Formats: sequence, structure tokens, C-alpha cells
Amino acid sequence: MRPRPPAMRTKRRYILAQILPYGAQVDQKQVYLAVYEAATSLLGDAAAGLAQPAVVFCEGGYVVVRCRRGTEKDIAVALSTVTSVADERIALRTVATSGTIHALRRRMRPIRQLSGDREVKIGETYFAVYRYPRQKVDLVEKGIKHQKSLFFTEADLEER
Amino acid sequence: MKITDAGIHPYPAGDSSIARMALEAAGLGFDSVVVIGDAAHRSPGIEVLRGAVISAASVKEVLKKVRDPAVRRADVVYVDAGDISFNRAVVSIKEVNVVRCIHATRRNAFDHVAARTAAEQGVAVDISMAPIIHLRGAKRQKALQRYADVLSLQRRYGFPLTISSGARSILEQRSVRELRGLCALFGMAGAEVTEALSSIGRIVEPHRPVRVVE
Repeated sequence: MRPRPPAMRTKRRYILAQILPYGAQVDQKQVYLAVYEAATSLLGDAAAGLAQPAVVFCEGGYVVVRCRRGTEKDIAVALSTVTSVADERIALRTVATSGTIHALRRRMRPIRQLSGDREVKIGETYFAVYRYPRQKVDLVEKGIKHQKSLFFTEADLEER
Repeated sequence: MKITDAGIHPYPAGDSSIARMALEAAGLGFDSVVVIGDAAHRSPGIEVLRGAVISAASVKEVLKKVRDPAVRRADVVYVDAGDISFNRAVVSIKEVNVVRCIHATRRNAFDHVAARTAAEQGVAVDISMAPIIHLRGAKRQKALQRYADVLSLQRRYGFPLTISSGARSILEQRSVRELRGLCALFGMAGAEVTEALSSIGRIVEPHRPVRVVE
């Protein structure tokens, strides 16, 4: 089948969103399902169908969502209502919208983890420590499943 | 004009510390946040205000609780909305700044009489983003209907509105741009959102006539 000429193709927009918490490992398909559920629930089947949301890729703590031109504001609002992906609590923070993926890649800043103590005890619970720039500290409860996460700063840890 | 998130619930009520939530709020475009609970914190780049919430079944109980030292220390005093008579009475209490949880009340619980009194007394109505973000289906539709109803009363009577994320975690905080999009769902214009986000500043520091102090 011959592709349509460029003038007849559907115009697309790409939305770059950051995945929080920083270390979250999420599957692209699961993100797509979460985004589609959020869009359908918020905008309805008709509007979500016309917007054609799709997850292009999901890497380095960022996700790029594709939609039809003109619907990017609706999809960005729908992204802000995504609260979990495959039972894992996450948030999608919209960073930028563009007509090309290339432009969005320039906005993707790698999230580097800093070194420091690896473990801390709060109450009776042990937490793994993940440090990030601007004195941000994420604590993840040590365990196998359904670990609790806490979001602190260096100053909070020093006070304890 | 200070852009304020009118209600966050840090650790131990939530999973994020005040400092971390303040840091995230600054990154999301806010100038100040109201922390619900008895927590004092100084954060560079963002003002942290203290908020106290009164949940009461009767007006008598509200009048008793506003004399509580923890409530007196607070910069902003919130009261959880109730039935129609409760709401009409509570907006005329001088110490009350904001009526919240309006989405959880029955239809017409906040009516034109309460709206007029709120406008006269300068009492704000809080619009929480938490129900829009977390609820789905009929419950979210109901919350959107309540907010649209409050907005139509606000346009008629001119009482202040506040917007809060109701976040218990940094994962529940939303940027100013995202709040604009979410508020557009029930018909709130961009200028109205800006006005609502800055109304906490006017509640904390109201405009008064200049007094000459000798």
C-alpha cells in the first residue's frame, strides 16, 4: 500500500512528560494503558478516539506521548490525572509539547543519581536511599513487594 | 501577587516532607504553599504558610474550635463544608478564612445566600484538585458539577476562590499550567485561575485603608 502524500497525512503533536518518582521502572505498554484509561475516563470515548493518544517511547525517566494536532492540551490534562501504572504510584509531569520528537529529545535532561549512604532506618523500617540533585532524597522501603516510598531532602535526613 | 497552592498535607499525614514538597512546589511555579497541620518550616525561594482545618458537625463546635491555640496560630483557617444551614452560618464567622471540601457536600449546600455572605465577609471557597485527579466516573462528574456551580455563584457574587492540590505526596502535586488545564474542565478561565491562585495572599494580607501611626 502506498503511503499518503504528506499534505494528506494526519498532523501529530508529541508531548514530553517526566516520570516521577525518578527511579520508577515502567513498561511502555503499561504506560500506554494508563494514559489511554485516563484520557477515556476524562474526555470520553469520542474525544479520546479522535485524539489518538499513543506512547512513542519511554526511556530515561521520560515518556513521549503522541496525539493529533489540536488535541495536545486535552491529552496534557489527561496526563496530569494519571496516578498509577500497573499498581505502581507514579506521576507524569508535562515538560514540553512539540511537532517533532527530535525537539523533545533536546529537552530530556538525564536524571543522575548521586552517591552517599545507601541505607537509613526510620522508626522500625529500613529504607534504601537514592539521592538526586537539589538535595532531593527518595527513600524506598526494603522489601520484595509493595514497598513504601518516602520523599525527603538531605536536611530532613540529617534531622533524624 | 503570590501564586499559592492552598493546601498540601506533608509527612506524617503524607509521604513527603514539607521541605521536599516546598522544593517541588517552587519547581512547579508556586510562590507559596499552605501546609495543613501544625508544622513550621522555612524554605528558600518559597513561603510556607500554616493552615488549620476545622471539621465540625455544628456551628457551635466550630466556634469552640476557632479558639484553639493551634487554630489561632494558623495563617489560614479552613472549615469543612456541611449542610446548607451549616455553610450559611460558617461563612459569617470572622475567624474562618476558607470553606473547603465543597465537592463532598450535597447539591445546593452552598447556595446564593451563603455566597452573598461569603462575598461580604471575604470568606473563600476552596477548589481541590484531588477529586478531579484521583476520582473516576460518576464521583468525578459530581465534583466537576459542584465546582461549576460554585464558579457560577462566584461570578455572580464575587467571593474569593482558592485552588489547592490537596497533595499528600510530591506525586500528587501539579504545576500551575496543569491546574489551569484541570480548572478549564469546569469552565474556569485562565484569568480566574490566576485570581484564585493569588487569593490566599489577599486573605493573609488583606487590603486595608492606610493608618497614620504617630
